[in-house]
Amino acid sequence: MAISSATKAATDALSVNRAPVSVGAQEVHKWMQSFTWDFDKNRTKYSTKYKMANDTKEQFKLIAKEYARMESVKDERQFGSLQDVLTRVDAANRVHPKWNESMKVISNFLEVGEYNAIAATGMLWDSASAPEQKNGYLGQVMDEIRHTNQCGYINYYFAKQGQDAAGHNDARRTRAIGPLWKGMKRVFSDGFISGDAVECSINLQLVGEACFTNPLIVAVTEWASANGDEMTPTVFLSIETDELRHMANGYQTIVSIANDEAASKYLNTDLNNAFWTQQKYFTPVLGMMFEYGSHFKVEPWVKTWNRWVYEDWGGIWIGRLGKYGVESPASLRDAKKDAYWAHHDLFLLAYALWPTGFFRVTLPTAEEAEWYEANYPGWYDMYGKVYEEWRSRGCEDPNSGFLPLQWFAENNHPIYIDRVSQVPFCPSYCKGASTLRVLEFNGKKHSFSDPWGERMWLSEPERYECQNIFEQYEGRELSEVIAEGHGVRSDGFTLISQPHTNKDGKLWTLDDIKKIGCVFADPLKAL
Amino acid sequence: MSIEVAGGRRGLTDPILAAQILAAIPDKPLETQRKMNYFMTPRGRRINEYEVLCCYTQPTPDWIPGGLDWGDWTQKFHGGRPSWSNESTEMHSSDWLKHRDPAFRWHALYVKDKAEEWRYTDRFLKAYSADGHVRSIDPVWRDEVLGDYLGAFGFSEYGLFNSHSSVVRDCLGDTIRMSSAMIALDKVDNAQMIQAERTFLAKLVPGFPESTDIPKKEWTKGAIFKSARETVEKIWQETYDWNEILFSGHMIYDPLFGQFVRREFFLRLASYYGDNLTPFFVNQMQLYHSQTKGITTDMFHTCLSADPEFGEYNDRLMRAWSDKWLPQTVNALKDFMGIFAKIPEIKGVTSKDAIQAALERVFDDWQRDYAEPIGYKVDTAALIKTVLTGLK
Repeated sequence: MAISSATKAATDALSVNRAPVSVGAQEVHKWMQSFTWDFDKNRTKYSTKYKMANDTKEQFKLIAKEYARMESVKDERQFGSLQDVLTRVDAANRVHPKWNESMKVISNFLEVGEYNAIAATGMLWDSASAPEQKNGYLGQVMDEIRHTNQCGYINYYFAKQGQDAAGHNDARRTRAIGPLWKGMKRVFSDGFISGDAVECSINLQLVGEACFTNPLIVAVTEWASANGDEMTPTVFLSIETDELRHMANGYQTIVSIANDEAASKYLNTDLNNAFWTQQKYFTPVLGMMFEYGSHFKVEPWVKTWNRWVYEDWGGIWIGRLGKYGVESPASLRDAKKDAYWAHHDLFLLAYALWPTGFFRVTLPTAEEAEWYEANYPGWYDMYGKVYEEWRSRGCEDPNSGFLPLQWFAENNHPIYIDRVSQVPFCPSYCKGASTLRVLEFNGKKHSFSDPWGERMWLSEPERYECQNIFEQYEGRELSEVIAEGHGVRSDGFTLISQPHTNKDGKLWTLDDIKKIGCVFADPLKAL
Repeated sequence: MSIEVAGGRRGLTDPILAAQILAAIPDKPLETQRKMNYFMTPRGRRINEYEVLCCYTQPTPDWIPGGLDWGDWTQKFHGGRPSWSNESTEMHSSDWLKHRDPAFRWHALYVKDKAEEWRYTDRFLKAYSADGHVRSIDPVWRDEVLGDYLGAFGFSEYGLFNSHSSVVRDCLGDTIRMSSAMIALDKVDNAQMIQAERTFLAKLVPGFPESTDIPKKEWTKGAIFKSARETVEKIWQETYDWNEILFSGHMIYDPLFGQFVRREFFLRLASYYGDNLTPFFVNQMQLYHSQTKGITTDMFHTCLSADPEFGEYNDRLMRAWSDKWLPQTVNALKDFMGIFAKIPEIKGVTSKDAIQAALERVFDDWQRDYAEPIGYKVDTAALIKTVLTGLK
């Protein structure tokens, strides 16, 4: 067999140097931009009004195997902590009951976001033309699978080892009963995957991840830890280590369209819509979960919001994108107002609708009321007095026959659902900025609580047709709805949700609800 | 004490906080059902960890079979197209969430395997180079076959990788979404391993080009991969039905063309040309192929073909898809036969009888594992005869 000159050179080289040689990830990655080729029908299946540049680079230059190595190391640490030391110290049974309930919601709802982000980044991977940009999105696809599994692991862990498995063990089924679910789907599901691909990226990466994952995934760990929960910080901080790459993907998405003419026309409108979409749900829900779902408080939500959303994101992060023509959203100022009262308004409704949840809720104690009043002057006159009245009427006691929903009916305070955000609101009893607007389209009435969402609906009503829980359950008796949605414990009659976390308190059953005779009505029909 | 505990105090370890927490905890657990997802039907006797962590994460309403939610989508595409819909595929199912990866791999298990492969690859390459194995590779095999044609085959793997983007976006089930992403990562891993091998050779063999220019030219302009390239382009960009993308790629093209190129060409022939480097990488690709086969046959045979309501219809559709994609794949193989004229012939190894035997192995496997389960009748001898007309 003839030996080529190259072979001879190799042989000669080996005779003087036998140092072991390998190939590093960067040596492979540097060729990635050349992995694709041009052909006639090479285009995305998901339309976007923007054009992504063909030469866009990614910041984290991973190849498949290096990605796996990195994640595997993180997994070893995380699951090692969970399965070893935290289990040995019985950590799941040393979490404050209120926080145990909050994690039923937080981990499951974050799981929804992570899960939908798999599909969202699949769409972006399809939309991008630059192989490096595709690679960045692929890494995120895999991360989102990881995060979906991790969030599930929190519920799995609490169900297996904690003090109240109900709700942790079936959140994926029972979450659909109550009033928080559809709003969650708007921000964390459909908002990520249905629309112009770049618009979805803005929702997911530029707002969802760069803005709200900081309070959702980072700040929550402080609240968890204060309340005895070390599982959540172990998992969520591991999730957060991936989020930086996702924010970079969002940044690169903007870079990739920066020179496109469409960006100057549409980008700031899309950003404003995305910000309002995300904040409309997260501002009240996160504030509610932190403050009302904990015993020990870290700081008022409004401060957390101001630091992470207003200053860090609205100022610094968006400021960095200023050179690409990106401006802070026009709705940021209105959102800042929401950060003060919206979560208090929402908890009033969430507590009133407690039987439809998959978690237990707790009325503020006297010392919590004091904390709220100190941090939100005016809180007692608006909310504290109402909670006192509900408590005095026995809202926690199944023998009382009293559901706080009745209070809203008695006082002529109808509860509506905002069509665009799907967030419930009570315009006649709130301190936030919610105002009732009702529009009719194709023979159907639609309620709105703010002009930003209303404007989105007016532009494209066909995108926001989803019925709400009052329309869905209209005419149905409450205990029937709960039973149909599997909102009961394994004994078949005790509700998963309860209006208290008192260790000695009685638990409500389907019969207790049935006796009250609460029937759903669509408030829009009364208008 | 104040209930505000800023300053990083931890409820688990701070005695004052811990005492209050413990006092609030019920004396006994409030619920006895501790199994997450207890309501689901497991694939095996018990719900396993993979099923706990993956199943029913898909938040589809009940009008998409398998979904647990109700009602409409809260935000749709411009114009009103739904987020996910039954119309995204011609296939029908009574439960889109039924699929299981037979290896029950959730993310942590998947990356653990691949991380081990990466560490072992690094150790192997160091030992291989220190041992001077590269001296034994036939220069024609090394410079033309590995340099050009293995490099060109990397584009096939890269194109198939990209075909999964819309599957990951559009498919209707959680487990198949995760499986599809893993298959995709394996495919881009294949393309990257091919480039890694070429880069490695360039480090050991002065003058060996690691650039992708020549392989890309071969892939886009050459005759050997012409039909393969056209087929991959159609799977990737002309096919919108997410099931058809998976079916065409993993039930037709890759089990035939991919298997012949990887297993019967590079893997089988490498050692004859003194190359024990390529088998190291191709064996990893074959492992991925085997895992993918488990996934896609579960989806198309165990779930869709055996669907109690739509199985017969699905079989008919898969047979129609086979009719559509098989001729293109046969053409891809026929074009690939041209590669045998480029390598030094070894009797009984690269001669026609050996090639035919290799093709028979591939087609027989495909017929048994892919065609027969859906009742697809095929004359493999005739197909092989057609392929062999591509020999120069």
